[in-house]
Amino acid sequence: MKQEFVDAVKSGKVLAKKCTKCSHLHLATVYFCQNCGAKGFENEILNGTGTVATYTIITVPPAGFEKYTPYAWVVMKIDDSELRVSGFLGGIGSPSQLPMGSRIKITGYDDRGILLEKQ
Amino acid sequence: MEKVCVLGAGSTKYGKLDDSITDITIQASIGAIESAGIDPKEIQAGYISNVFGVADKQVHLGPVIMSNLGIPEKPSLSIESACGSGSVSFREAFANVAAGFYDAVLVAGTEKVTHTGTEWTTTYFSYCSDFFYEGGAGASFPGLFASMARAYLNEFKATEEDLAAVAVKNHENGLLNPKAHLRKKISIDDVMKSAVVASPLKLYDCCPFSDGASAVILCSEKFAKEHSKNYVNVIGSGRGGSPATLQGRDHMTTIPSTKLAAQAAYKMAGITAKDIDFAEVHDCFTIAEVVDTEDLGFFEKGAGVQAVREGRTARNGDIPINPSGGLKAKGHPIGATGVGQVVEVFEQLTGKAGERTVKDAKIGLTHNFGATGASCAVHIFQGV
Repeated sequence: MKQEFVDAVKSGKVLAKKCTKCSHLHLATVYFCQNCGAKGFENEILNGTGTVATYTIITVPPAGFEKYTPYAWVVMKIDDSELRVSGFLGGIGSPSQLPMGSRIKITGYDDRGILLEKQ
Repeated sequence: MEKVCVLGAGSTKYGKLDDSITDITIQASIGAIESAGIDPKEIQAGYISNVFGVADKQVHLGPVIMSNLGIPEKPSLSIESACGSGSVSFREAFANVAAGFYDAVLVAGTEKVTHTGTEWTTTYFSYCSDFFYEGGAGASFPGLFASMARAYLNEFKATEEDLAAVAVKNHENGLLNPKAHLRKKISIDDVMKSAVVASPLKLYDCCPFSDGASAVILCSEKFAKEHSKNYVNVIGSGRGGSPATLQGRDHMTTIPSTKLAAQAAYKMAGITAKDIDFAEVHDCFTIAEVVDTEDLGFFEKGAGVQAVREGRTARNGDIPINPSGGLKAKGHPIGATGVGQVVEVFEQLTGKAGERTVKDAKIGLTHNFGATGASCAVHIFQGV
């Protein structure tokens, strides 16, 4: 299921799973409903656009991220849903470049995880 | 359910240690055994908490420790729950003694990582997150807590200086703790001028990477009474979980597992947050202590920073938080931390805390979690 999720991210979308019993919406990487425990889901494709819910600017990176530093790691609230998804947003060195609530979007996926950009 | 007691406690200094992970774990264990006044042969099982034994070329620590204590025939196990390993291990030991399976057990937590360097620790610690969304997308642990900090500063009337005040307070406490990693008085200005690690958190907002080991002897009340007059009762034990990711939480300024664990522990003890005289809480970063003190019910949501500003959480305040210096100054050997908190509470409640004694303290609480609070345990203790 993770590959399906990654494939959607690569085309700028978020694959969500809607519980067929209670309609609770989750990211696709959940196998049982967190609300009612049921196992039946139907796919729902969301646009990978949203707003900055919170973020940090990393200046001391884990291995593999040195050449991108500084960069932002962001939690994005997805438009028209209560879901959030997090990822890597490059080229950010100061909080003034990314006010809370800024509009951002998913642009792809690689060895930096889910890639985000400012809209 | 049997009543469970802490009979003895021991700890190495926290910091950069030269001895091996095996040696420091044994040193802490012998400290606990001598403090309890028991013979190692009386120990019926060992609970060893550790995360990165692999860094010092020793996993499967249990049998190694038990063999060195002259009791190779006794059962043991290793428990990993990220930075919450110590309290989670303590809880499992508590449950087994409470159930009557054992009369007395050793609970030892240990970590040895400083020789690996900042890049190794930053990278390997990030494996404690939900790696697909967090560590794998470049989020370090300071980065995850920095994201909570930015959400908090955005939502409530709080400033980066308010967070810095937590570090200043815990460094003051650490000065009085001979086993603390960082024994250095600092000012708000020092924190504000320290290098940014993950905005808005700076170096002095972060706990250090530490080596260290802590151990306690946990036993039934009957066993305790046969051996000592100066022990501590475990009157509450609670656990909880949170979504493993920050994105999975409706609010990023609260940690659900803390609330769940605290509610369960208060219920078992038959008390409320108002009855707690002091607490050792999980202040891996300054923002964490503020969030913890609110989630534990000491202050309303958003009021944690005001409490720090007013000195209410200082050692002589109305609810002293982290009299040991906390993770921030005492240090954070991640597998040992949760057990080390119990060592502090034991020393406070048995009159062994010296200069850092909290006046008239009768009931103490420990709060320790793994990662961004995905796993959590809270324990409540009362002196006899």
